[in-house]
Amino acid sequence: MLFSSISFIYYFLPIVLILYFIVPKKMKNLILLMASLIFYFFGEPIYCILLVFSSLSGYLHGIWIHKLKNTTYKKIPLISSIVIGIGLLMVFKYTNFFIININYIFHSELALLRIVLPIGISFYTFQILSYTIDVYRNEVEVQKNFLNFATYVSLFPQLIAGPIVRYQTIEKELTDRKHSFENFAYGINRFIIGLSKKVLIANTIGEIGEIFASMNEKTVVIYWMMAIGFMLQIYFDFSGYSDMAIGLGRIFGFHFQENFNYPYISKTITEFWRRWHISLGTWFRKYVYIPLGGNRVSYIQWIRNILVVWFLTGFWHGAKWNFIIWGLMFAILLMLEKWILKHLFKRLPSIFSHLYVILIVMLSFVIFNSNSLYESIKNIMGMFGLLKIPFMNQETFYYFRSYLFVLIIAVIGTTPLLKYTIKTIKKYKIGEILTNIVEPFIYIILLLIITGYLIDSSFNPFLYFRF
Amino acid sequence: MKNKYKNIVITISFMMMITGLMLTNVVIPDKNLSHSERRRLKSMPNLSIKTLLDGQFFEDLESYFLDQFVMRDEFRCLKAISRLYLLNQLDHNDVYIVKNGVYKIEYPLKENSIRHAAYKLNDIYNQYLSGMNVYYSVIPDKNYFVAEKNGYLSMDYELMKDILHTNVENMTYINLFDSLSITDYYRTDIHWRQDKILHVAKKIIKQMNLDDENSDVSYTEKKLYPFYGSYYGQSALPIQPDTITYLTNDMIEKAILYDYESKSYGDVYNPELFDSLDAYSLFLSGPKSLISIENPESTSNKELVLFRDSFGSSIAPLLLEGYAKIYLVDLRYIATDLLGDYIHFRKNQDVLFLYSTEILNNSMMLK
Repeated sequence: MLFSSISFIYYFLPIVLILYFIVPKKMKNLILLMASLIFYFFGEPIYCILLVFSSLSGYLHGIWIHKLKNTTYKKIPLISSIVIGIGLLMVFKYTNFFIININYIFHSELALLRIVLPIGISFYTFQILSYTIDVYRNEVEVQKNFLNFATYVSLFPQLIAGPIVRYQTIEKELTDRKHSFENFAYGINRFIIGLSKKVLIANTIGEIGEIFASMNEKTVVIYWMMAIGFMLQIYFDFSGYSDMAIGLGRIFGFHFQENFNYPYISKTITEFWRRWHISLGTWFRKYVYIPLGGNRVSYIQWIRNILVVWFLTGFWHGAKWNFIIWGLMFAILLMLEKWILKHLFKRLPSIFSHLYVILIVMLSFVIFNSNSLYESIKNIMGMFGLLKIPFMNQETFYYFRSYLFVLIIAVIGTTPLLKYTIKTIKKYKIGEILTNIVEPFIYIILLLIITGYLIDSSFNPFLYFRF
Repeated sequence: MKNKYKNIVITISFMMMITGLMLTNVVIPDKNLSHSERRRLKSMPNLSIKTLLDGQFFEDLESYFLDQFVMRDEFRCLKAISRLYLLNQLDHNDVYIVKNGVYKIEYPLKENSIRHAAYKLNDIYNQYLSGMNVYYSVIPDKNYFVAEKNGYLSMDYELMKDILHTNVENMTYINLFDSLSITDYYRTDIHWRQDKILHVAKKIIKQMNLDDENSDVSYTEKKLYPFYGSYYGQSALPIQPDTITYLTNDMIEKAILYDYESKSYGDVYNPELFDSLDAYSLFLSGPKSLISIENPESTSNKELVLFRDSFGSSIAPLLLEGYAKIYLVDLRYIATDLLGDYIHFRKNQDVLFLYSTEILNNSMMLK
């Protein structure tokens, strides 16, 4: 089920909210678990079994690790947990990638498996691993109640596209959380803002991709529109989803970690990755980079650590070479920043470092969005006029005019400008009163417009569902 | 308003909205048809183990929720207004508005499709029409008159004509581009208005060298309102509907329509169909693969074979004055090879290929 669907907003959500808030406290997790399984079943009926199996595996491994915690054998259940988790991910996500490459290298003809990627497997696998590793490290208490653990793994607000909620961050809230109008209203605000980002901005800008694909005569400008458009689309799509997840979580009393913090205002790629998909970056830092030694190792080992983490980050996003190259590209850039660029940009006006980040991230998303390496190169060549195409034509000009305003809104939306403006207004008494009066109306109007968009639209899955 | 009250207001209004709309959707009976969108609406899908496990049930359920959502038309309208006036986009689902008229972008010119159409005409000529009087004409779509000058995408109509003139053989071209203007079309529909194309019918008759003795044939106007054209529903905007004015007289009322597919007789106009999903179907009872109109009043024995699309439905009655019988062939619904089974092509027949630019630009649908 999609958050941005009529079935979710106008059927699933009101029923779940009513049931959740009328049952006694001890039954709330049961309601959440049942709702989450139905939510998942709606989109992936068969793979529900895999979700339940993974939850059971994580739960039992947690208990096993706990039982052996003072023995030398406690690594066995940890390794078993990692092997099962990563193993399932490998089977369902990467098998065909390996078969294709084996066939290419050895000229063999191994048949591809007819496997559909289970939605959200990359997210919930990482969540389960965060739990078993943290139990192993004695950083969290073992969860002995399967209902609570299964609720954590399958919690529908963040089940299928993150943020990757580490068990540690909601351990206490699984059994003891506060429900209030403040939480509920905050949750609604975040949910509607996220929904607006997805439906009004990301989906609209996403149309540029369809226009680009259907154009007979491409131009330099449409290549740029495509690149800028995708960069904005993926931000509004994914951060919109995260907003919805955080908002829904808050309604039920959970405080999920923020996943985005205006990444496009960064001055370095290092900073960008501190602001983009924060939960994934945190996960890799905590469970891969630091255990490998982080930066407190020799230069060569540090380079290895960086390469490993960014290879895995790229590979996590998809079983294609362009994702691996995309990840490794960031590894090289991070090293270059540490060695050279950081010092260079200190001497230049900050506008240059902003432009550098925007350009690099845009080109990285061109690679990310391409179906093959060849297509990536062709798209980048198109942007820089290296294909024999006109700069602009009638069709491009039309779509440029048609999407200009929404692109401008999107660009403004990637900055904290609106947030600071509202904050400034609220500093004044009259400003605070006015915003408090206007705010509820804005959310209702936005929800009505979004409903119109949903009713008039077809299927619109989130980009991060494929990861 | 204090934050505390604001939070209560937001919570209660949100819950009332989503719960209220859910209950309204559950309580209000389902509709079968959407007149504005001219289509059947989805009904509650059947549940089976198979459809449940393969995900089909949930897909169908979402479509059902979308189709049966209370005030669907109003919500679609809200989207259209937001898109055009809030996000300042130039079109909505390729539909745009100019001076209260609704238009749909037809772009770009598909040169291969135009060539394919030309070859199709040639093939038909070679198969059935050798030595006959054969004409072809093109009906410009509404974009021809407004798109370019208002900054919308406009296909290269001159190139379209060039491709046709270069490739169509053995046929005489009748130019309608300079005989029509935007006021000859419905505001909310793709089609031309029958009450505005009498001069077009006369031009065709004249160019096909028919005797002009009946040129003072008079017609009575009959009006039907409101006519929500095909673009009305696509635009989803609150636009004033059109009026359909159809022209009739004794000759037309006595004419006999025969549908070769259903093997049934009928009238040239079928006003009962004005209330159907496609009100334009009142002309010749809507899309048909092959029909004929016999004119018992005719003094000549000439026949016309009209290869046409839906535009032909409204002009055919106006051409009837010159013919004893008109065959109307819609190649979207009947294969060329089958035509010989139904029409005896002979020398006393005129043949006219009359197609709109939309069909020529998507000519792969011609069988």
